[in-house]
Amino acid sequence: MLDASENRTLALEVENVSFSFGSVRALDNLTLSVPKGVSFGLLGPNGSGKTTLIRILVGLLKPRRGKVSVLGQPPSPKVASQIGYMPQLSALYGELSIAGNVDFFARIYGLKNAGARAELVDETIKLVELAERKKASINELSGGMRQRVSLACALVHKPSLLLLDEPTVGLDPELRVNFWNHFRNLTAQGITLVISSHTMDDAAHCDRLAFLREGRVIAQGTPAQLTEATGNPEASLEDAFLYFTKQEVSCNVA
Amino acid sequence: MSLNRIFAIAQRIILQLVRDRRTMALIFIVPMVIMTIVDLSFPKDSGQQVLDYIAPGLLAFIALFFAFILTGVSFLRERTQGTLERLMASPVSRGDIVIGYPLGFLPFAIIQSLIILLFTIYVLDVHYRGDMWQIFIFLILATVVAINLGIFVSTFARNEFQVIQFIPLVILPQAFLCGLIWPVEQMNEYLRWIAKFLPLTYAISGLQDIMLKGKGLLECSFDLIILVVFAAALLFLAIITLRRAPSG
Repeated sequence: MLDASENRTLALEVENVSFSFGSVRALDNLTLSVPKGVSFGLLGPNGSGKTTLIRILVGLLKPRRGKVSVLGQPPSPKVASQIGYMPQLSALYGELSIAGNVDFFARIYGLKNAGARAELVDETIKLVELAERKKASINELSGGMRQRVSLACALVHKPSLLLLDEPTVGLDPELRVNFWNHFRNLTAQGITLVISSHTMDDAAHCDRLAFLREGRVIAQGTPAQLTEATGNPEASLEDAFLYFTKQEVSCNVA
Repeated sequence: MSLNRIFAIAQRIILQLVRDRRTMALIFIVPMVIMTIVDLSFPKDSGQQVLDYIAPGLLAFIALFFAFILTGVSFLRERTQGTLERLMASPVSRGDIVIGYPLGFLPFAIIQSLIILLFTIYVLDVHYRGDMWQIFIFLILATVVAINLGIFVSTFARNEFQVIQFIPLVILPQAFLCGLIWPVEQMNEYLRWIAKFLPLTYAISGLQDIMLKGKGLLECSFDLIILVVFAAALLFLAIITLRRAPSG
């Protein structure tokens, strides 16, 4: 258990959480904590429980066992107003324009004043570099552009915690770099970012990481701590992931 | 619940449908095509009397059918494209979503009902006795029930294929059991009992009273109240079945 002062500095706290889809166990006694103001990567192969964990954090799934604390509270519609959620699917309204989508989510997140909202919508669209195309309908956009609109919808209400489920999937290298520049700007403003990914390229950009495998956290720490733990000074994060996977298997065998 | 969020959802649905020109065309053209086929299929001399008799049922059934498909499929699309999940992860309540949806569809369903009504009276040349505005009010109420039914049913469907399967299950029995073809009173007792739980029974009964017997809305208040209860109950059931957080 963490004491009260540590709790205040944590954006997320997950303790012994298990979740099953029928007979399939997606999360198995998972424990992790995320400090405020960092970019935290959930790294693991497909099916390791990353999306399930994020969906629990936003309140879309409810674990039967374990404790979840998001910004000091259990997931609820009240705390949801402080969270920005970008699901794996771009999840946008194809017939609406970029501005129409961002404005809709701004209203849903409680931004009532039309004038202030219009300014914020413009500012957010500018941030994802789509200002020139803000009237274009989503159906006319490329996959990468849709990802950027999806990020704008998650950002528009200025959340203090961003939960991004595989935000860089399908992006070209240039766009991926741009996304990470955005993310760094956000953490510099004190926003906490939780990003799920299965590519080690994303992992290298994160301040802290948790390696997930079969619904469990097999290691967590800074990228440097995780690579150092392998004992090989030349080890990459990929090597580190494989190292911890083997360690866990050997532990289980023993 | 928040009025601002309810209106945001309703406004977004209206904007989405208006921008989707093909769907807009289908919303307005398909009822006209169907009503024309009905018109052509009835022989002009001997068929008119039958058409006059079944017109109230036909009106209610076609309005219910279109409104059900329109909302059922649209609501399901919200689920399959991931936007429902995004909404459910926001501070929006289930009530905001379930009330915002019918509100957004209402203008289109009203226009569809109006097209069906005007076609029935002016193109099919159906003879009726009550006031046209009273027929229209009743038809809109039946449409609201269908919208809410579409939303409620689509909360159980996970893909388009499933929601299409619900059409024969939910809509077709109503065509046979609610007095569209044969009066409910002349059916077996158990079928009459089933008909009591189907909203189309009350929509047809009320419209028959207005159109065939020349009654006013007040005289049809029983059917009217039952339809309001159906609309409210379906909305309530949709709110309950639209789960925010399944546990596992």
